[in-house]
Amino acid sequence: MIEVRDLAKHYRVHRRQPGLAASLRSLVRREHVTVRAVERVSFTISAGEVVGFLGPNGAGKTTTLKCLTGLLHPTAGAVRVLGHTPHRRESAFLRRISLVMGQRNGLFWDLPAADAFEVNRAVYGIAEGPYRAALDELVDLLGLAELLGRQVRVLSLGERMRCELAGALLHRPDVLFLDEPTLGLDVNGQAAVRAFLRDYNDRHGATVLLTSHYMGDVTALARRVLVVDRGTLRFDGDLAALVEAHSPHRLVRVTLRAPVPAATWAGLGEPVTVDGAVVTLAVPRAETAAVAGRLLATLPVEDVAIEDPPIEEIIRAVFAHA
Amino acid sequence: MRDTLTAYRGLARGGTLVAVTYRGRLVLRVLTGFFPLLMMAVWLTVVAEGGPPAGWTAGDFLAYYAAATLVVNLSGDHVVWQWDADLRSGDLSLRLLRPLHPFHQYAAADLGQRAVTLVALGPALALAAVLSPALDYPVTPARLVAFAAALVLAYALGLLTASTFALLGFWSTQTANVWLLWWGLGSFASGWVAPLELLPPWLRTAALVLPFRSMMGFPVELLTGRLDGAQTAFGFAVGLGWLGVFALLYRFGWRRGVRRHQAVAG
Repeated sequence: MIEVRDLAKHYRVHRRQPGLAASLRSLVRREHVTVRAVERVSFTISAGEVVGFLGPNGAGKTTTLKCLTGLLHPTAGAVRVLGHTPHRRESAFLRRISLVMGQRNGLFWDLPAADAFEVNRAVYGIAEGPYRAALDELVDLLGLAELLGRQVRVLSLGERMRCELAGALLHRPDVLFLDEPTLGLDVNGQAAVRAFLRDYNDRHGATVLLTSHYMGDVTALARRVLVVDRGTLRFDGDLAALVEAHSPHRLVRVTLRAPVPAATWAGLGEPVTVDGAVVTLAVPRAETAAVAGRLLATLPVEDVAIEDPPIEEIIRAVFAHA
Repeated sequence: MRDTLTAYRGLARGGTLVAVTYRGRLVLRVLTGFFPLLMMAVWLTVVAEGGPPAGWTAGDFLAYYAAATLVVNLSGDHVVWQWDADLRSGDLSLRLLRPLHPFHQYAAADLGQRAVTLVALGPALALAAVLSPALDYPVTPARLVAFAAALVLAYALGLLTASTFALLGFWSTQTANVWLLWWGLGSFASGWVAPLELLPPWLRTAALVLPFRSMMGFPVELLTGRLDGAQTAFGFAVGLGWLGVFALLYRFGWRRGVRRHQAVAG
C-alpha cells in the first residue's frame, strides 16, 4: 500500500542575519544553507492500517507526508503509494488519496459548505448516486446538517474541520493522510474528530497516516507509530512496544486511608507525586506486580491503580535518548 | 476529457457563485470594468482640443474603447492574481492534490467569474450601443465569427501568458510586480493606451508581431471593421504563434517549477 525506501528530502534555503546591514549585504551576496528535512527514512504500511507519525516540530513528519502525497519531489529514495509514484501526480493516484491539513482550507472558502462539496464532486467526477450516499453518511457521522447552508469562512474551527473532513472523504479515498487534524480544536472537537476517524476506518478500511502533536489523537487511533526526529526514523512499531522499550518504569498510584511517613516508600519505588494520602510511585516494570502486592499487604490501602507514564513523557525520552 | 469537462462545469459554477457572493465586490468589479473608458476620455479631449489625430474622430474612439471594454473584461489574464496568492500562501498544495491540473482549476473558476462580468457589462454596453450612433459596428456574419474567434484567442492567450508568468512564483516572490511590468509595457503595444494606428511607425510595426495586440487591439480592430482579410489572417497567425510559444514556455516552466516547489508554510 505505502512503501518508502531511503527517502530523503533536502531544501536549499536563504539565510540572513538580522539587522539592516545584513539585509543590505544580502541584497548583493546571498547565503544559502541546505536543510536536511528527511534523511534515509524507510517503512511500509499495509492496507487498512492506522499509523501515527510522531516527532517534535521540524522532525520531518509533514515533509514526509508531502512526499507521500506527491506535493514534494524527493531528493533521493523511492516512494510508492497504491502502486503509484506520488510526485508524478497521476489522476488515478490523486483520486484515491486525500490529505487533510489542520491549518489549511481545502474547501471553497466563500461558498456555503453544500456548494463547496459540489465543487469537490465535480473535480473528482463523483457520480450522483455515490456522491449522495457518501454525503449522507458524512453529514450523519459528522453532524453537518446544520452547517451545509453556511459559508465555510464563517464556521468555527471545529465546524470547519468537520466540513474539511467531509470534503476530503466524498470521493472515498483508499489512503487518508492527516496532518494535525485536531490542531486548535477544543477537547470536545478533538474527541469528535477522533471518534469519526475511528468509525470511518472501521467502516471503510481506509489506510490512515496521521501526524499530530496531540498524543491523544495517536493513542486513540493508531496501534502502530513511527517516531521521527531530525529527519530520521527513530522507532517503528506498536505503541505498546514503544512504551515498553522506552519506559523502564510503570506508575503505581496508591490511595491510602491516611497519609504515611515518607520512609514507608523505601524499597517499594520512587515517589513521583505525594498528595496527602494519594501517592504515585515509579516502579521498575518487572517489579510492578510484586510491589502492588506488598502495598496491599502492608499498608491501609483503599485503591491501587497501575498505569504507563503519559505517552508524551515516553516520546520525550525517545528524543532525549536519540 | 469527459472528466475534465465535468470538472470545468463544477469549478466554473463555483467561480460564478463566488463572484456573486459579495455585493460590494460585484459593484467594484463592474466599476473597474469600465476603466478602458478613462483612456477614451483622454482621447476625446485630444479630439476636442486639437482635432482628430490621424483622422480618428470622437465616434471612432467611442466605438474603439467600447469594444475594448468588452475585450479587456473577457481577458483570461486575471488568473495571475490567484496563482500568485496561492503560491505565496502555500494553498497551491491543495490544488496540486486534486485530480485536475491547477491550470484548469484557475481557468475554470475564472470562466465562471467572466460570465458574471459579461452579464453585468453586457446590458450596459448594449444600452450604450442603442443610445450612441457611434457604436454602429459594421457587423457581418463573417466578421462576427472572426470576432468571436479572436475573443477566444485573446482569452486563451491572456490565460496562458498570465499562467506562465505566475510560474515565476516557484522561484521568486515578485510575480505580481513582474506581471505589472509586463502589462505596463504591453499596454502601449496592445492598443490600450492608443489604437495602434496612432502609434509611431516603429512601435506599430513591433506591436503587430508582439503578443499584446492579440489580447486586445486585434479583436477590437476586427469588430470595428479596420482589418481586411489579409490583416485578419496575419493577426490570427501572430496570436496562434504566441499561443504556441507560451504553451511551450508554460510546459517548461511548470515542469521545472513544480519540481522545486517547496509546499510553503506547513
